Amino acid sequence: MGCCYSYFCDQDSSSQNGEPSERTPLVNPVSNSINNHQINCDDYLIRNANSLPKKTDEQSALNRILQETATDVIDIAALDSHNLQQHEYLDRMKQYSLKLQQACAANKLPQKNNKSILQDIPQPEKVLMTAPLSSSDISLISSIVNKATTAISDIKIEHKEELVASFQIP
Amino acid sequence: MEKQLDRVMDEVLTVPGISGCIFSDKQGLCIGVKGKASAESAGIMSAIANQVAKLEPDNKSPIIVYENDNQSCIIQQQGDITAAIYKTGII
Repeated sequence: MGCCYSYFCDQDSSSQNGEPSERTPLVNPVSNSINNHQINCDDYLIRNANSLPKKTDEQSALNRILQETATDVIDIAALDSHNLQQHEYLDRMKQYSLKLQQACAANKLPQKNNKSILQDIPQPEKVLMTAPLSSSDISLISSIVNKATTAISDIKIEHKEELVASFQIP
Repeated sequence: MEKQLDRVMDEVLTVPGISGCIFSDKQGLCIGVKGKASAESAGIMSAIANQVAKLEPDNKSPIIVYENDNQSCIIQQQGDITAAIYKTGII
């Protein structure tokens, strides 16, 4: 078995040149690429002329991995920076409702039964949220009606003049 | 006679917040009115109370409240008498 990376790799040159041993790295040491950065560009081209196609392959593979990772990962920090504007919300709402209607029509879903008794009230929650009549007002109006009923029942018609008038017909 | 009713109406108007009151019979005839209230609205009050009573037949004397931002009108019908009071201020 080999090891991925070993601290002794650089020092243990004998094993690198010879047959693969237990200390032979499976992956080429990263130090190679780090060293390459330190050399001049021309030198790099000359010295690595033979290994250039291999390098580009590696580079493209790395790029591919990077791209795949970028497509797979959802960058939340980047999402936060994009704030939806009001008109964008409205646009999306229209778009989604249109899509929903199309989907409903395509699948022939039954229309939602709108049997609400408050359907003529645009915002029923506002009406339902209002505070009910206070108990003091209830007792007030009840007592007023009771008093008025008794007071009105006391009203009697008193006749002061004779309702039947007799004509003195000779 | 109607002195008793007059006394009741005066008493009602002494309650803070009440600006007017009106009483009418089942047919909408105005029996008494005092304060900021119109005798012409007696018929409407009775009609409203009669209609609302049909909504909930089990409830003998429902209380109806009409309100706007600064005034409310509370109506109740009991027997043949419909009473309505105008109250200033939000309930």
